[in-house]
Amino acid sequence: MTIKKESLDKKPERECLIEVNNLEKHYGDIRALDGINTKIYKGEVVVIIGPSGSGKSTFLRSLNLLELPTGGDIIFEGVNMLDKSVDINKHRQKMGMVFQHFNLFPHMTIMRNITVAPIKLLGLSKAVAEERAMELLGKVGLADRANSYPAQLSGGQKQRIAIVRALCMQPDVMLFDEPTSALDPEMVGEVLEVMKSLARDGMTMAVVTHEMGFAREVADRVIFMADGKILETGTPDEMFTAPKTDKAKQFLASVL
Amino acid sequence: MNLAMINGFDEWFSKFKERFINDFITDNRWKYLWNGLGVTMKITLGALVLGILLGFLVAAVRSTHDKTGKLKILNAICRVYLTVIRGTPVVVQLMITYFVILAPLGVNEIIVAICAFGINSGAYVAEIVRAGIMSIDNGQFEAGRSLGFNYPQTMYLIILPQAFKNILPALCNEFIVLLKETSVAGYVALQDLTKGGDIIRGRTFDAFLPLIAVALIYLVIVMILTKLVSMLERRLRNSDH
Repeated sequence: MTIKKESLDKKPERECLIEVNNLEKHYGDIRALDGINTKIYKGEVVVIIGPSGSGKSTFLRSLNLLELPTGGDIIFEGVNMLDKSVDINKHRQKMGMVFQHFNLFPHMTIMRNITVAPIKLLGLSKAVAEERAMELLGKVGLADRANSYPAQLSGGQKQRIAIVRALCMQPDVMLFDEPTSALDPEMVGEVLEVMKSLARDGMTMAVVTHEMGFAREVADRVIFMADGKILETGTPDEMFTAPKTDKAKQFLASVL
Repeated sequence: MNLAMINGFDEWFSKFKERFINDFITDNRWKYLWNGLGVTMKITLGALVLGILLGFLVAAVRSTHDKTGKLKILNAICRVYLTVIRGTPVVVQLMITYFVILAPLGVNEIIVAICAFGINSGAYVAEIVRAGIMSIDNGQFEAGRSLGFNYPQTMYLIILPQAFKNILPALCNEFIVLLKETSVAGYVALQDLTKGGDIIRGRTFDAFLPLIAVALIYLVIVMILTKLVSMLERRLRNSDH
């Protein structure tokens, strides 16, 4: 018990998982990312908000190099991901990603969707991978859909499967790129519920979302982006009750 | 009146029978068609395999270039290949392959034909496959890469199986075209199905029956092929409900 308290007290010295230094992404003259600096700590839930076109998705997608930055550093678990000698595929295995449009593989069953990467990349046996998958499927309440194809599922179910697919690789961080934006309103709740329980279990998460309720309830830290820059960062309380910049005030007024 | 009709039919039928026997039975002339069919199938199947291999290879290079901007030199070579092959008639390609390149080396005619038709078909297959790859949503590609698959794994496990299903009708069409295009193999002294019919015509001076027989055989093969492909399509479709 005392040990736990001690570790809680040491919170400011938490282990840094991702460090982003002066990250830039230019498309010709357009600066999609214009000098981003931030750190994501182990076990932290960071929610990134901002008006559309602010670069928040680009920022998230550059963390696992789906977008190739034109400048700066991304240091993930002590390794600079932009170093040419780095095997990016190895590090991507440690970063789960969930997309707005689910991107499940339509030609595979749900079980195969979830287990194909652990089997091929982690070298798990089929039996072990399927056991792991069934456990995760049970957690999101979709154990009975293991043999279905993605086309047979609703949007909310697809997104829960997409989360399970990423989790089955046992990543160190989960990146969520507007995970509920493509869902019908009645299905948003079930996906957010899965994300909340993930946060409770201590998963490190970076989430781009328009769900301010989720940000307020689950986030340890909220980042506000506009014009490719981080304008403000703070706890949900600070951000939602007393935003400092005009742009953040304007944005929050329009979405809350 | 009725009697006349029956008599007329009788006469026509016995004439037909005579021609049929003369065209196909006498001197075992049906063997020209049978052996010709064998040659046609050998060329078609050989060219099919070669064409698919070449086509997928070229499509892989081209779409890698389209997606990542890498492989500039290989892509340029592939584009020259596509331009030349699609810009010249297959008969000319066949004759160049035979008379200019391979005959001086004494290569077997069937191998020559397989090479010529395979290289020709590869160009069309390549563009079909490339279109199939480009038709798959980029999100599929990103999902594969984000899990940690490298580029070839993503292609092989995620993109190509989906692309293959989409392009199956176009590929089937290409195979039908290929089968029928081999009918010009006679230009390089090969006795394929068409040439077989033509030889019979030369022996019997009857053009009608041998050519109709040749046409029917092509038709039957195409119908069988179409049937097989539609069965395959149905099997592949079990994931979209």
